[in-house]
Amino acid sequence: MNGRQPTRFWRWALLLMLVAMLMSACAPAAAPSAPAAGGEQAAAPASDAITRDNTLIFAADMTDIITLDPAVAYEFGGILPVGNMYETLVSFNPGEPEIVGVLAKAWEIADAGDVWSMTFTLNPDAKFASGNPVTADDVIFSWSRALDVNKSPTWLLTDVCQMTKENVVAVDAGTVELKIPKTVSPNVCLSVLTFTVAAVVEKAAVEPNMGSDFGETWLNDHSAGSGPYVLNAWERSASVTLDANPNWWGGAAPAMKRVILQNMPEPANRQAAIETGDADIIQDVGPEQAAALEGNPDVTLVKGLSTLLAYASVNASMPPFDNPDARQALRYAINYDNIITLLGGNGELVQEIIPIGFAGHTGNNPFTQDLEKAKELFAKAGVTEGATIPFIVATGTGPGGVEWATIAASIQADLAQIGINLDIQQMQQSELLTKYRAQELPMLLMNWGPDFTDPDANGTPFSNYEAKSLAWRNSWNDPKAIELSKQAAVELDPAKRVELYAQLTEYVQNNGPFAMLFQPARVYALRNNVQGFIYDPGDTPSISLWLISK
Amino acid sequence: MAAFILRRLGGLIFVLIGVSLLTFFLAQMVPADPAGAALGSNAREEQIAAYRKQLGLDEPVVVQYGIYMSRLLRGDLGNSIRTRRAVADDLRDFLPATVELTLAAMLVTIVLGIPLGIIAALNRNTWIDASARILALIGGAMPIFYVGLVLLGVFYRQLQWLPGPGRLDSTLQPPMQITGLYTVDALLTGNWPVFANAIAHLILPAITLGLFSTAVLLRMTRSSMLEMLGQDYVRTAKAKGLGERVVIGRHVFKNALPPILTIVGILFGSLLSGAVLTETIFNWPGIGRYATTSVTTLDYPAVMGVALVAAIIYPLANTLVDIGYSIIDPRVRAD
Repeated sequence: MNGRQPTRFWRWALLLMLVAMLMSACAPAAAPSAPAAGGEQAAAPASDAITRDNTLIFAADMTDIITLDPAVAYEFGGILPVGNMYETLVSFNPGEPEIVGVLAKAWEIADAGDVWSMTFTLNPDAKFASGNPVTADDVIFSWSRALDVNKSPTWLLTDVCQMTKENVVAVDAGTVELKIPKTVSPNVCLSVLTFTVAAVVEKAAVEPNMGSDFGETWLNDHSAGSGPYVLNAWERSASVTLDANPNWWGGAAPAMKRVILQNMPEPANRQAAIETGDADIIQDVGPEQAAALEGNPDVTLVKGLSTLLAYASVNASMPPFDNPDARQALRYAINYDNIITLLGGNGELVQEIIPIGFAGHTGNNPFTQDLEKAKELFAKAGVTEGATIPFIVATGTGPGGVEWATIAASIQADLAQIGINLDIQQMQQSELLTKYRAQELPMLLMNWGPDFTDPDANGTPFSNYEAKSLAWRNSWNDPKAIELSKQAAVELDPAKRVELYAQLTEYVQNNGPFAMLFQPARVYALRNNVQGFIYDPGDTPSISLWLISK
Repeated sequence: MAAFILRRLGGLIFVLIGVSLLTFFLAQMVPADPAGAALGSNAREEQIAAYRKQLGLDEPVVVQYGIYMSRLLRGDLGNSIRTRRAVADDLRDFLPATVELTLAAMLVTIVLGIPLGIIAALNRNTWIDASARILALIGGAMPIFYVGLVLLGVFYRQLQWLPGPGRLDSTLQPPMQITGLYTVDALLTGNWPVFANAIAHLILPAITLGLFSTAVLLRMTRSSMLEMLGQDYVRTAKAKGLGERVVIGRHVFKNALPPILTIVGILFGSLLSGAVLTETIFNWPGIGRYATTSVTTLDYPAVMGVALVAAIIYPLANTLVDIGYSIIDPRVRAD
């Protein structure tokens, strides 16, 4: 007995050791990221104790969030917190279409020979959360940094604005001058500057933490902006917690002292959270959840049109749709009312390439289902009854909360009535995109969201083959559309510009490879005590958290 | 013993090479472009081409695998295509949540499964036995997503006895990260409100995830106990006047343990993979959800990272079981 004792001990010791190994294989080495962020900044709003009453809990599917660095963020989930922590020189007032100054008190666009000169005068009151003033040096540092980082949204600065490090200069501590080539529309560039990629970070805070990645890692756990909120903590994949910036210069102190943006991918969980009051606002209420919440006296549903456009498109180099008559026939064959009914109020009919809410939107919806006409046009294009066309559709739910396949089936039924078989093939979105980009898809169902709030963000992709975007993916190389889109993009006179977009819209409507279908809505559910909520997808951020109270 | 463990760990290397080969080349067969998927539908061709180059996706597959393996040997899991962070950092964020959930489910399994199995065996063919077997039947037959939804519906939405999805109430700040397991970290830092809340949040998902394995373990324990109860040496032990407690505890249960232990080891692996569904239902920011998102966005370095971790944990758990054998049964020598 005694002899066995030590072996036993060692066996137990080994067992424990292995358990420890298993645990340490799983558990992280002490990573001090979270407290570092919380420590410095959470302490700031000490005067106002944080209670549930002055905390806003916003639940949404924020799975897409990969960064909180303004120079990198390009996802809906990331732009929401970033847009509430950082400010840009110019922006929109929520719900209004005119560009207004934020960090810039005024700006001037002047013809400087072979370039446009855009001069911004900074607001002398503007200061960062640290209390330091926002200077021209900070602006130049931030923009140069965005160019150096060179991530997803950088192309907006480099390609749309043609910004280089050389053509941005500080005239004095409070003035910044940006020179852009004449081929760029200063208005388009201005709207790009409202986006978070052009937000201003505090040089003094970021520069010492640049590391090997221009401070990208550091900015994921710290904020260095001048906006109404500062970062408290980002719990990866779970939540982003923002605290009111006690030094905010831009307006009345936010009523919500803390905002928790909670990642909740499951619609049923979001519904439960708003019903129980665990969340104050939930994003993306599906048609089913909306029906369940409609009668709830504690909850209000708020619907807002997104800037997305859903469309069916065809490849203009593959028969039968290489013939413009066949493309027009498709547009007359679709029962649009039926699709709008399927959306159950979560979308509006839009048959043009510029969405509602953008300058240049005409409101013309010229197509209603006319099967005789469709049949006639198809016959003219040489399409005989019984023809089969592959129709590629993504798996899963599309914008407006309806399965892509459901909308595809509706279009399939329409064409079946005139003897044309659409062969629906479902594909994972990433695979569909790969093939679409390779110009391989004969017909598909998709949606497009503009990258910035200007009609050019849709005009060029839908019309300009050279831009290698949608027109290119559908092999539609039309010189007139290309020319019109270029002209409209750089036109400075607002009235003339709208007129050019009307021409472009009508031309693409009748000749392009697209059957534009609808502009989906985004539905939010709010607890009844929540006030000041505005959803404006054209604005960055699309939800201005500092205006919300309860 | 040491030699045995070394051998086991040596075997791990082959498992890892196999898993990495399999996941890497399976990922290559998917007819889609990970760089394009990561950059979204608006990205332009030049951007995608540049990102492909940056990721090294323009190299031949074999070269890519070589680069990956040489990095792996240096302990570098590479960067995620989607999150653009080191996969190791992502895993460090997501793995503890899954481990905490799995351990809690394991606890539910053991605490419920073994005692109920013993009680059922000792009361064979009585109503107690029957109810234990019905419980096992229900637990084994109900799909995880259904159990989860019912539990949430009853205990969170209707009765409001327990908190809803997530690891903590959103108004609470997570404890300082030491192990990443909220309960353990809260305990270590003496943060009692967070500790209580984290435990409350664990109850429903742990039951959901652990129910099936509880059913399996209950049945296994019952049959293993019954087998031992019928053995001659048990009769002898009783005949020589040993108390019931000693007979059951020292003679029957101890000998019934090896097959139970085997099942526990296997169940641990199945719990890890079952965590994917539970994590989805309970909004649990764990590795299961990370894996699903990574798969749909073709983020193969992330998928491989997850696969490799699973490939390490599973054999480790089995090694633990093997060592467990040698502790409970001196005839079994690990080496």
